[in-house]
Amino acid sequence: MNRSKGGVPLFAFVVTAVFFYAPLLVLVCFSFNASRTMTWSGFSLRWYGELLFHSADLWHALGRSVIIALSSSVTATALGTLGAIGIYWYNFRFKRYISIASFLPLILPEIIMGVSLLILFAAVGLPLSLFTIFIAHVTFNLPFVVLIVSSRLDEFDYSVVEAAYDLGAREWDALVKVVLPISLPGIVAAFLIAVTLSLEDFVITFFVAGPGSTTLPLQIYSMIRFGVSPVINALSVMLLAASIALAFLGKGVYRYIFQR
Amino acid sequence: MRKNVGALYAFPIGLWITLFFVVPISVIVLYSFMAKGLYGGVVFRFSLDAYRELFNAALLHTALTTFLLAAVSTLLTLVLALPAAYYIARSRFRNTLLLLIIIPFWTNFLIRIYAWIAILGNNGFLNALLLRSGITHGYAHFLYNRYAVVIVLMYTYLPYAILPLYSAIEKFDFSLLEAARDLGATRTQAVFRVLLPNIKAGITTAVLFTFIPAFGQYAVPQLVGGRDSFMLGTVIARELTVSRNWPLASAIAAALTVMTTLSVLAFMRLNRSAGELIRESVP
Amino acid sequence: MKKTLRCLPLLLVALLCVCGGARRQKLYVYNWTYYMPPDVLDDFRKKFNIDLVYDVYPSNEDMFAKLKSGAKGYDIVVPSGDFVSIMIHEGMLAPIDKKRLPNFACIDTAVLRRVTFDQGNQFSVPYMMGASGIAVNKTQVARYEHSWSIFDRADLKDRMTMLDDMREVLGAALKYLGYSVNSVDTAELAKAKAVVLGWKKNIVKFDAESFAKGFASGEFRVVQGYAENIFKEYDSTRRDEVDFFIPAEGGPMYMDNLVILKNAPDKEAAYAFINYIHSPEVFARIVDYLGYPCINTAARPFLKRKPNYELADLRNCEFKEDLGEKLELYNRAWEEIRMGN
Repeated sequence: MNRSKGGVPLFAFVVTAVFFYAPLLVLVCFSFNASRTMTWSGFSLRWYGELLFHSADLWHALGRSVIIALSSSVTATALGTLGAIGIYWYNFRFKRYISIASFLPLILPEIIMGVSLLILFAAVGLPLSLFTIFIAHVTFNLPFVVLIVSSRLDEFDYSVVEAAYDLGAREWDALVKVVLPISLPGIVAAFLIAVTLSLEDFVITFFVAGPGSTTLPLQIYSMIRFGVSPVINALSVMLLAASIALAFLGKGVYRYIFQR
Repeated sequence: MRKNVGALYAFPIGLWITLFFVVPISVIVLYSFMAKGLYGGVVFRFSLDAYRELFNAALLHTALTTFLLAAVSTLLTLVLALPAAYYIARSRFRNTLLLLIIIPFWTNFLIRIYAWIAILGNNGFLNALLLRSGITHGYAHFLYNRYAVVIVLMYTYLPYAILPLYSAIEKFDFSLLEAARDLGATRTQAVFRVLLPNIKAGITTAVLFTFIPAFGQYAVPQLVGGRDSFMLGTVIARELTVSRNWPLASAIAAALTVMTTLSVLAFMRLNRSAGELIRESVP
Repeated sequence: MKKTLRCLPLLLVALLCVCGGARRQKLYVYNWTYYMPPDVLDDFRKKFNIDLVYDVYPSNEDMFAKLKSGAKGYDIVVPSGDFVSIMIHEGMLAPIDKKRLPNFACIDTAVLRRVTFDQGNQFSVPYMMGASGIAVNKTQVARYEHSWSIFDRADLKDRMTMLDDMREVLGAALKYLGYSVNSVDTAELAKAKAVVLGWKKNIVKFDAESFAKGFASGEFRVVQGYAENIFKEYDSTRRDEVDFFIPAEGGPMYMDNLVILKNAPDKEAAYAFINYIHSPEVFARIVDYLGYPCINTAARPFLKRKPNYELADLRNCEFKEDLGEKLELYNRAWEEIRMGN
């Protein structure tokens, strides 16, 4: 009586999972392929060797990507969460403008966002660097954060907050001790999406990256025309393994902290 | 009612967006009304050339193709995402399943597309499988056409659809479904008349996160598309870099933005009226 | 506590000054992907004790779009000939003082005479000269002519690709018809467009990115492409399967050049780098890595392997020049080719 949809959801989920993991399986297989081409010719660890010992550039690029992803996601989540709370529950003078403007970066094609930011930085004389990439990433992540947190606030029972005020809580307390903890799943989801989007991005990053601030997607994109080396496959597999490990570790920590 | 702190909360984001989005975009819109510089850039002279060039048959044809491919991908994505999100939301292992869905997307996007090329290509896995099992006798052309573009677009945007849907379904009160069944509704009726209307917000978000980016995509059609799948994102990139026609690129971008905004507003209006009705009717 | 805090910024500034004084020279090079072997770059860093920062781009257009929009900070860029003309026109390049480049004399004078985009090489130093050609998978295709007409063959339908590059494709068609690669005559262009539309029926797609991988995996049997990309996908054992040739009619060719940007932060280091690249042993190593014909006469004795094709093969080829406003004609034609069905 519970599963009113029967086997359809399970089927859909399995199809989705297969859909998602098939390319990954291919990736893993080819990272152990002895030759460069896409036909199997024997097991080999040569690409991993090259990755670990001859690819300083790749690791530097990865490092930069991670730094930018974390910093821009934290900033975007903070700005976006506060903004979502403000827009959702209050009325103020520029509310309509801000709520629409926060939503717009989603609609614009990335290449235009990239060029427009580049023109802005050039006009004010801000040299391109990791900082400009940071600015760009925060900007395009904001609408996602606002949307996700807003939808979480949608189901929030405001009377809880009112009760807190009635009990004498100040604004800061109400925010930190009531609103944020209850919306935490939404905030965490927004943060994760921001990190993912930031790690992936290459169109906008291409335009605002300065000399010496190549991120991983840029490095890979620039290789595309000339054949992506299987070293990248090896790197992707290692990153995947690391992310999985991190994710399950994170879950363990989360469970330990929040669900004694 | 206490002090109105809304403005304080929204100020940081308002400032950021104005500085780093509204201002640059206004510049772009401005550029679309100017004349083209010989080697890129613009000449500061008012001109409607860019908008005039917008209305040519080839471009309109491409716009239509883009709309079609984005719409079909969004629809198929929804069809798959909805039941999948439902399954995750109702499962005991929902957090693990969610993680499982997200993790593949921490691999680089371009690499995953290359993996798809390996799977769908003439000498790829799918063809090898079909040939070996005797289902087909020649190579089926999965790649470098519209079908490949749709599949890869779906692949790209599924998690962005699943997450908001999951979030909405998770908050849904399933006893409503049971109540409907008790009152004699069939399974389908229960789903379409009770479940779906209540997760309208989630569906809207899922559509937004899928349709809009799909519309402006250019990496996917570039890499796996073929003669029949030229999309607007590719055109903008070309006009900007190869033709160095900044006003035209800006004009196309402006038109694209207007088109997507209108479609989204229309969709939201439809949803909101239904959603508001429901919300009002529940005490 | 307060006193220590107040001293801190002073300490930081002092530290920065010390580090700044002892800092090495920094050189920013912006080049095509895979265009310089990593060991050559490392040797430069060690030999000159200059901190070399090396960024890459996939095409002239992407590089130019960035520089034109105001990106600053690079010393050396490597544009193709037509873009050198454009950059000279836009005032983006610093004049080259050949007295500071003793190794400039090593470059083949016959090659220098063919340079039209920068008369006298006032702003650029040639790096590599090459052309796109046709690669045929000999194991799959038995008899064929060494000509662009191979793309007319319906029996190879859907197994061929051409480059997604309007100058390369239209240039090939123009040369095939006997016209100039830089023609701006509307009648000639119309005929070239018709030829390309005919070829389009037989190709799978226009692809400038995955043609090499597709070719190596057997997906495509005939591709228009660059030799260095294609051979990169092959181990030495399988090289005989590939026949790469520049068609008899000739085609568009290009020269990539080292240039110093006008706003380059460290021109001295830039000269050191260019001179280093053209030193005979270094240049020979680069040519061995890339497989291009060798334009540096002093380097030729040091070559360890045969290039993928020779300068002689390029005799019927023509440099792609900048067409200025007339590029619109090509744009229009290419749009119709790409967007039509």
